[in-house]
Amino acid sequence: MKELRILQVLDFFQGFFRFFQVDYQAMRSILEVKLTMDQRRIPTVFQANGTKPKEGNQFLKMLGIYVLYSLLIVPFLFFGDAYMFQMSIIFGIAFFILMTAMISDFSAVLLDVRDKVILHTKPVDARTISAAKMMHVFIYMFLMTGSFIAIPSVVMLAQHGPLILLLFLFEMFMALLFIIALTAMIYMVILHLFNGEKLKDIINYVQIFMAIGIFIGYQIVARMFNVVEMDLVYTFEWWHVFIPPMWFGAPFELLFNHHHSPGISIMALFTVIVPIIAIYLYYRLMPSFEQNLKKLMNVSITRKKKSRWTALAEKVCCRSKEERAYFKFASSLIRRERDFKLRVYPSLGLAIVFPFIFMFNQMEEGGFQGLGETKQYFFIYFSLIIISTVVHMLQYSERYNGAWIFHVTPSENPKRLYSATLKAFLVQLFFPIYLLLSIIFVFIFSYHIILDLIIIGITAILYTLSCYKIITKVDYPFSKKMESASQGGMTILYFLLMFVVGVFTVIHFVVSLVPYGSIIYMLILAFITWVSWAVVFRKKPAN
Amino acid sequence: MNTNMERVLRLQDVKMRFLDNQVLKRINLDVYRGQIIGYIGPNGAGKSTTLKIILGLLEGYEGTVEVFGKKIEIGNVDYKRKIGYVPENAEVYDMLTASEYLTFVGEMYGMDRKQAENKALALMTELGMESAFYERISSYSKGMRQRVLIVASLLHDPDLIFLDEPLSGLDANSVMIIKDLLAELAARGKTIFYSSHIMDVVEKISNRIVLLVDGEIAADGSFDELKNSSEKGSLEAIFNQLTGFESHQETAENMVNLVMGEEQK
Repeated sequence: MKELRILQVLDFFQGFFRFFQVDYQAMRSILEVKLTMDQRRIPTVFQANGTKPKEGNQFLKMLGIYVLYSLLIVPFLFFGDAYMFQMSIIFGIAFFILMTAMISDFSAVLLDVRDKVILHTKPVDARTISAAKMMHVFIYMFLMTGSFIAIPSVVMLAQHGPLILLLFLFEMFMALLFIIALTAMIYMVILHLFNGEKLKDIINYVQIFMAIGIFIGYQIVARMFNVVEMDLVYTFEWWHVFIPPMWFGAPFELLFNHHHSPGISIMALFTVIVPIIAIYLYYRLMPSFEQNLKKLMNVSITRKKKSRWTALAEKVCCRSKEERAYFKFASSLIRRERDFKLRVYPSLGLAIVFPFIFMFNQMEEGGFQGLGETKQYFFIYFSLIIISTVVHMLQYSERYNGAWIFHVTPSENPKRLYSATLKAFLVQLFFPIYLLLSIIFVFIFSYHIILDLIIIGITAILYTLSCYKIITKVDYPFSKKMESASQGGMTILYFLLMFVVGVFTVIHFVVSLVPYGSIIYMLILAFITWVSWAVVFRKKPAN
Repeated sequence: MNTNMERVLRLQDVKMRFLDNQVLKRINLDVYRGQIIGYIGPNGAGKSTTLKIILGLLEGYEGTVEVFGKKIEIGNVDYKRKIGYVPENAEVYDMLTASEYLTFVGEMYGMDRKQAENKALALMTELGMESAFYERISSYSKGMRQRVLIVASLLHDPDLIFLDEPLSGLDANSVMIIKDLLAELAARGKTIFYSSHIMDVVEKISNRIVLLVDGEIAADGSFDELKNSSEKGSLEAIFNQLTGFESHQETAENMVNLVMGEEQK
């Protein structure tokens, strides 16, 4: 094993871990092994073509994206000394990005029980194992935060001087601790309250709600200041105390604007005290967390009734017997595999929220009444951008080795498996959400928009197909190994795919201005979708 | 049973239930130093559950478990220092090489890194795997993985060794090595707790056989004792008798009929 530099850095803090009764050597060994494994992505056993396997920590390659994100916050640094405003916004964005990463990418690490048989049979206490897990997440989150604040830090130094920068770095560190401990503790509470199989479902729902919650929180922060009038003077309201990103603006206001009101002082104090309390609580509860995690291992055999929805969908969207079998198989995996759900469900939550977020931004002027006459229902297109992530995830499975079955069975057309899997995704995950959104939208915008909603629904199908063509590199779904470090699927490619949604939106918008444009567009779109689906999944001619 | 011997493991009234399923119904078992216990039973009888309880992987059981004369408790992991374990479904970090994995396991047991690595290499060399030592476990065959697991369980010189189906995937030569290895370990004062479905092997290597049926101990004694009490010639036959299964031939016939699509008799 190569000696990892990050662990050498960690060695400086061994005293800290020893103080908390963590077996530092054991923790270091576990971390070393985990980080080494993250660096070694094994290509699928059944790699179709002889492409050379890529090595290296995929996560580190992804950090570039966070540098890109950080450009978002740079403009806010130029708001003079309206610290409360700019810092709250910056921390709001940071909270949002870090917390999203935490829920979608690192929950799997926190809730990992796969190596229980290896670690828990050794004389290593639960606290040490838990600390190793925590540090595993922390190291990645730290690097992520680092790349996220690198450029803003330089700008801040130039704009506001070193003192502010120092305070900023300190507060950022506190925010990071807070986010990790908070997430872990939410899981702890759930793990404590629920048992076995039920727990797994509940965790997924909690992830959705957390994703929604962060989004709404972020919106509130952004709305707290009336930017349009350039009136950036901050007035404290009691309920600001419940919005963590606001806390992190307060120390700047307090120290550099000498704004000593009690409200500000309390919030500033919170930024130090709350993260410390959170970490301390986490530390105290850590052993019971590990114990409770074992609940996730219990396999209770509950036979669910065959879902009517699945049975119906199966008949409607799959014509051949073979495809139906595949559809059922994919539906079961999508609904049961915990790792898959852990990674995908949070983005489903985003799909629900995205359209509203952008709509509410626009609503400021017109209010709810004016909304009905606008074309703002186009914002429902935002729910489509999660499709690329999910299509990406469909390649993976915790039990990827099971895919050998597809290699040994005599399938008429192996591509049908993927076709059926995409259909299963659309039917089981996407359309239920889309339907929900549509109902809400029809309620807001009246039934006139139903035609448009159908068009967008068809677009979703076509878009799923495009994502499959562009992203998917494997012959069979669920045949790649799921990694512990983030594969969250955020590369330039995914931005390009988001851009494709934008193109669809513009086309739709333009044709909707033409009389009868929409209906003709719908027919053309349906035809294109139908034909291209058939073409993409047609049987390969026998050689 | 000879009570002068040192007691290594004691289970007293151990019961375990998963929801409505009473997996273990009152297990009482004393294990003494130097014994090789063949722990057998049909699928789902509770063998693995027993092992998991002793290793602290499962909680919520009733009764007491004593290892080396001390009751095991939540949060106290010290007793695991002298235990070795070969799990049933080969869980390993297979992105690591055997060298890395074994060194890691050694370190988890508190060994020094260099010492763990040297010892692991020496043991693997004995098993003819020195050339694969620096290759990733993911590229191994099933038998090779099994050898890694066996070495991992012995590295820290444990006094009590649990093996769950340790011979699976091993070739005939390796099986012989492991059989002799277990006998030698027991002769030198180690205690072996061995669970398997291969009756011939259990019959040959165990000096005490414990048969678990439906969460209860149905038989306990040396092979000869079991043979005398049941008047059957092989452990397999005894096993069939004690588990109340006599219809294997009929079942086999029915299955072939089903496979070939004929009427079932």
